Amino acid sequence: MENILEVKNLQVSFKTFFGEVEAVRDISFTVGKKETVAIVGESGCGKSVTASSIMQLLPMPPAFYKGGEILFKGEDIVKKTDKEMQDIRGSKISMVFQDPMTSLNPTMKVGKQIVEGLIKHQKLTSKEAHKKAIEMLKLVSVPQPEKRVNQYPHEFSGGMRQRVMIALAMVANPELLIADEPTTALDVTVQAQILDLMKELQDKLNMSIILITHDLGVVADMSDKVIVMYAGQIVEQGNVNDIFKNPKHPYTIKLLESVPRLDMKRDESLSYIEGTPPDLYIPPKGCAFFDRCDYAMKVCKDYMPDPEYHSSEHYSRCWLNHPLANDIRHERSV
Amino acid sequence: MMTEPILSARNIKKYFNVSGGTLKAVDGISFDIYQGETLGLVGESGCGKTTAGRTIIRLYEPTEGELYFEGEDIYKLSRHNMKPIRRNIQMIFQDPYASLNPRMTVEEIIAEPLDIHGIYKSDKQKRERVFELLELVGLNEEHALRFPHEFSGGQRQRIGVARSLALNPKFIVCDEPISALDVSIQAQVVNLLKNLQTQMGLTYLFIAHDLSMVRYISDRVGVMYLGMMMELAKSEELYDNPIHPYTQALLSAIPIPDPEVQRSRKRIILEGDVPSPIDPPPGCRFADRCFYAIDECRKTTPEFEEVRPNHFVACHRSGEIIEGTATMTK
Repeated sequence: MENILEVKNLQVSFKTFFGEVEAVRDISFTVGKKETVAIVGESGCGKSVTASSIMQLLPMPPAFYKGGEILFKGEDIVKKTDKEMQDIRGSKISMVFQDPMTSLNPTMKVGKQIVEGLIKHQKLTSKEAHKKAIEMLKLVSVPQPEKRVNQYPHEFSGGMRQRVMIALAMVANPELLIADEPTTALDVTVQAQILDLMKELQDKLNMSIILITHDLGVVADMSDKVIVMYAGQIVEQGNVNDIFKNPKHPYTIKLLESVPRLDMKRDESLSYIEGTPPDLYIPPKGCAFFDRCDYAMKVCKDYMPDPEYHSSEHYSRCWLNHPLANDIRHERSV
Repeated sequence: MMTEPILSARNIKKYFNVSGGTLKAVDGISFDIYQGETLGLVGESGCGKTTAGRTIIRLYEPTEGELYFEGEDIYKLSRHNMKPIRRNIQMIFQDPYASLNPRMTVEEIIAEPLDIHGIYKSDKQKRERVFELLELVGLNEEHALRFPHEFSGGQRQRIGVARSLALNPKFIVCDEPISALDVSIQAQVVNLLKNLQTQMGLTYLFIAHDLSMVRYISDRVGVMYLGMMMELAKSEELYDNPIHPYTQALLSAIPIPDPEVQRSRKRIILEGDVPSPIDPPPGCRFADRCFYAIDECRKTTPEFEEVRPNHFVACHRSGEIIEGTATMTK
């Protein structure tokens, strides 16, 4: 598969009054054409910072790229100027944000917000753009698009607003869509509609998706590849079946176990992860999960293990999986 | 367990006057909650589940209806006579960031209900009770003098739980207590609530939109849609054999964290959005989006009936759906 995005050893930090926060610490991954890559992890693990840095949307300062490259079709995004980024954002890479209530401009008609993008990226006249805006709303299944195009965001429900957001992201047929918690603010029935819509558009437009979410059900539904992040690092990566059926990192295992399953007995108690993720002002020297891990060993405290490959696509960073480690089996209660 | 209802709601209504008509947030719901059980209440945003929870404990004055708590209709009581009852009815709120006063220490927050009800004469006893409560929810004495901003979301929700337990209540309304928390932290709070229930014999009304969590924590589950109760049954029964078309659609929309299962499922995708609760049309509230709707559904509101033992449904076609003879109209 041809890769359209390659992130290599990316490091992103924030300069704050108290010191430097290392939000993303040396991560690498690729996104193939038409592939859906999910990034999962708890709040503060760096998943949103990763997404925003691909779009160069982080406020700089306080944020800065500390190292690494983000290659989009071979060109390094980190080195692009603001002006160059304007041609990439929206037309080649687009983003859908979590909160459809606050990411649309409340003082502008929905149609006008779509038209803006069309005129900028496709050089259409305003009349053509207006017609195209109606088509875009139709594409994302907004009923009565001719009427809706002249309404303001507050006249739309949450699900409909998210459709508008997706329409906005799609105006220039982007090759990569970054969806940052696109359905978190929505109800399950609306979530099902939006996820179906995203899949349908992906097929139609041959687009790649980076999906950021903490809902493991959504990950199971949508993604080809899964990246598990913890404290700014990738602790496990693999295809969707590797991660759900054969998780290797204790953090991934715990994360999967803390979700109640529909076939679970009511007297079983849910497993959970004790404590909270470490502060990234002074990131731990060794494995960041050390404090919360049931299997922590001496070596974990001081050294972060290198990726251990379980198959060509599936790796985890845990000393337990090192060939020299004792054979400790962490059994999953499947 | 499950002998006497501790709380019985009868035909509870809560309307709000808004510009453009009457918003019928809760439009006649009835149910019982038994001593020591957890009743889950689910539904999508705007279905009235939070309003129902708040009306039940009279944080909102009801428009109509009767609510018996331990046999007494609390809607008939004056504000003054309500006060002793309030000791037995407490609430845990959704947002642990907004529901704790940022200018009060944890000790002051937890002690506030004790002060209001004048439980302890001496400060020493009061402080001991606060420490006891902190320990109960998995925090400790050291936390008492800190302020809410020094805690993580999960810890804050524990403080909220400690506050709700201060007066030894019998019944607690949990309004989306975990939806603002991370997955791994949600499990901590749910386990805590479950343990406290066994320890103290608490009764919960658990309001949430996370259906798999509700199934896990509740003995029985009620499904609301646009101000009305659509279905109510034991949780296993409801999740295994949903009867109401809305419940069926809702359950099929939960994504299951297992790629094989999730990708081979047949989902019922509902068209459109939840209609406006302002002056809703007669008939079943779900008729416009229902794939079994017939003319009758648009004319009369179906009764909320017991169609199987302990399984209540409000649907004209429930009989046909149970027998499997219902034909789709969409």
